[in-house]
Amino acid sequence: MKRYEFNEVTTMQYIFLISGTQIGIGILSLPAQLADIANTDGWIAILIGWIISITASTIIIKTMEKHPQDTVFDLSHRYFGRIFGTLIHLAFVAYALLASITVVFTAIHITQVWILPNTPNYLIMILFMLPGFLITRNGVRVLGRYAEAVFYLTIWMPILIAIPLQKGTILYMLPILKEGWTPIFQAVKTTILSFLGFELTFVFYPFLKEKKHAIKAMVIANSISAFTFLLITVTCFIFFSPDETPSLIWPTLSLLKTIEFSFIERFEVIFLSFYLFVMSTTGIPYIFTTVFGMSQLIGKKDHTIVLLIAVCIFILTSFLYNPSFSHIQTMGSWWERYGLWGAYIFPVILFIYVSVAQWFRGGKKK
Amino acid sequence: MNSTQQLLTHSLDANEQTLRDYFTKTPDLVYCHLLIGEPKKRALLVYLNTLVDKNSINNNIIDPLLFETKQIHTIADIQLPIGSKSYTTKWEHVIQHLFQGETALLLDGDNHVLLLDTQGWPQRAIAEPQIESSLKGSHQGFIETCEKNIALIRRYLPHQQLKIEETTVGRRGHTPVTLLYLEDVAHPEVLQELRDRIEQVDVDTIVNTGELMQHIEDNPFSPFPQFLLTERPDAAVSNLLQGRIVIVVDRSPSVMIGPMTFITFFQTVDDYSTRWMIASFLRLLRLLAFFMAIFLPSAYIAALSFHYEIIPLNLLLTIGESRERVPLPPLLEAILMELAIEMLREAGLRLPAPIGQTVGIVGGVVIGQAAVEAGIVSNIMVVIVSLTAIASFIIPNPDMSESIRLLRFPMMIAASLFGLVGMVIGFMLIIGHLISLESLGTPEGSPFAPARLRDWKDTILRFPLWMMRTRPLSARPTQLTRQKKFRK
Repeated sequence: MKRYEFNEVTTMQYIFLISGTQIGIGILSLPAQLADIANTDGWIAILIGWIISITASTIIIKTMEKHPQDTVFDLSHRYFGRIFGTLIHLAFVAYALLASITVVFTAIHITQVWILPNTPNYLIMILFMLPGFLITRNGVRVLGRYAEAVFYLTIWMPILIAIPLQKGTILYMLPILKEGWTPIFQAVKTTILSFLGFELTFVFYPFLKEKKHAIKAMVIANSISAFTFLLITVTCFIFFSPDETPSLIWPTLSLLKTIEFSFIERFEVIFLSFYLFVMSTTGIPYIFTTVFGMSQLIGKKDHTIVLLIAVCIFILTSFLYNPSFSHIQTMGSWWERYGLWGAYIFPVILFIYVSVAQWFRGGKKK
Repeated sequence: MNSTQQLLTHSLDANEQTLRDYFTKTPDLVYCHLLIGEPKKRALLVYLNTLVDKNSINNNIIDPLLFETKQIHTIADIQLPIGSKSYTTKWEHVIQHLFQGETALLLDGDNHVLLLDTQGWPQRAIAEPQIESSLKGSHQGFIETCEKNIALIRRYLPHQQLKIEETTVGRRGHTPVTLLYLEDVAHPEVLQELRDRIEQVDVDTIVNTGELMQHIEDNPFSPFPQFLLTERPDAAVSNLLQGRIVIVVDRSPSVMIGPMTFITFFQTVDDYSTRWMIASFLRLLRLLAFFMAIFLPSAYIAALSFHYEIIPLNLLLTIGESRERVPLPPLLEAILMELAIEMLREAGLRLPAPIGQTVGIVGGVVIGQAAVEAGIVSNIMVVIVSLTAIASFIIPNPDMSESIRLLRFPMMIAASLFGLVGMVIGFMLIIGHLISLESLGTPEGSPFAPARLRDWKDTILRFPLWMMRTRPLSARPTQLTRQKKFRK
């Protein structure tokens, strides 16, 4: 029985959906954090984070494979009974909600700081919620197509960011491993959190059309993200030097300031406006997960009403509350702490639990 | 009317009375009494003289009948030099066929009616397509008669797989609607979906194909067309070969084609008859025009009201100088000019051709130098408005061109409220809408999202013909080979 037949996504859409979720907010500040912790060796931490995130994604896929038509919400009810199942269901929804709030408010904050300093945040929120509503309403299939379209539309952006590489000093990358492996491992924690986004496999896996390519798709998605992270971090290090990078709040955006054309100035304004596309592919899957999980919890098949309520709450919140930069950072750190559990520890526990439970049930039958 | 359900009788007078009762106040219905055969037998010829070819009736029916010397027992004995004929005993059929311009022949003592095809109504000669002109394509356009239109298509595809299905739509108009498709290429599900939708249409009549299109389209709230309306037989055939379905509506010179994708509205027949480099260049030009037509005025508004820092200093000074005397904010200035040009376009379209030229001259003054000198608008604005207008005229499909011109206005408002961010969100909305849009259940955003890389050969660039060996997948064709590899 296929429950989500009309909403299937292709392998390619799945890859872009996951990597689109991963690349978004974190990348703007990642080089600064890495340079702060591990200095010149920060980029090695990305590679280690890449391996860890691939491992975690594989574990998630392995878990989901046992019940290919189930999302994590169905799975939690199936294995943890009514009360615990609902609790886990709620926890995952809460996690997605936290993530979407963080992404949306960060996007608004960045927009206010860089592009529209005089526009009130609730107006920007209303503006952002329009495409958010339109795309989320139509379900995973449209989400996948959107991620795909945005990938093609934004493929020029990392190339453009890499332009300052030619003006940089490659010596800044040296020495390698100057303080041993300890700072690198400390930085790994930061990097694995910028890979957050693959945990949405928990929700999107049943919608994947060709499930045998799932692991391959996860590896490719993680690699696209890793490559982008690496490219931008290395560019920042080479251009600004690892010592200067931490002093910038958003080093990635500062890179853009150096790009100049004869016919256009302040290119970063245009770039950042376009960057909203990239941020939308991070925010919308999380909003979808929140709304989808919530409507499953109350037993509604169509998530439009829940989405409408969610959008109203978002707009109302922004009307009453305009988070400062430190609040947004706090939100981000909550998300990261929660994400460590949600994306790395929970899958392992779930995998072990499901395997053991299946083994038990199988044993009983025989 | 009860009598229409009934059968004819053997009495000619009774039959004539039934007809006269049914067709009251119908002066164009002709009753022609004849005495035919040896010995003479009474016969009655009935036709609507507004819908028939009188020559055909005089020469092919009345003339042979008058000089008939055989003995006529039943109506089947009558031999007439007309190929298409049928017999019936039902009043319902008689009336239906009379309305289609056929002639009914009744014989005394026989309850059968001979129906003869003598159709001939006022119709236009086949002429050059008016809206979609082309350089190298055929110069025959569709006309208002369904059969002629099908003939134009058949000439390109004399193949047994070209199937034709007829149906009628409308309670009063009984508009004949014909579906044409290649049976081994068109997807049966798409076809069935189309049949179901046409069947559900319950209206008085379909005056024009555009009406039927609106009755059966997937999303009536979309600014974008979901079916292609064309008056070019070669365009219809090229789409048939891609597995699409052509819908010919009688009495309307445009033919509807579905399912379409977004990019197909940017393709023309000329693209395939020109060499691929030039065709690709034109495709790129159209795509650029698409973006310019939507975003150019809004980019101007955004740059002037929010982000003047992105304009290089020299240009900014020039703009400032030209806007010096303009009292209007950029949005008002832009909307004023855009509305002026839209009005000009509409005026030029509705006015008869000799007066239409006057509109052009007056309009040229209005949105030209005079407006600038009067200090209402700036020079730059005039340039932008003209560029935008030209860009929107480049879009080959009139429906798509109109949607794009409409989208420009909300985009201008968004740009004046939120600058570049508003434009990007507007763009996001367009993309989000396009990818969720479907035409007969097939995604309109294809081949971009969902991506079908193989189909990209015929989208932004038009690859050489010998590379396009398979049919594009967007219409879900069931048979893919378009040509064999015959070039080395």
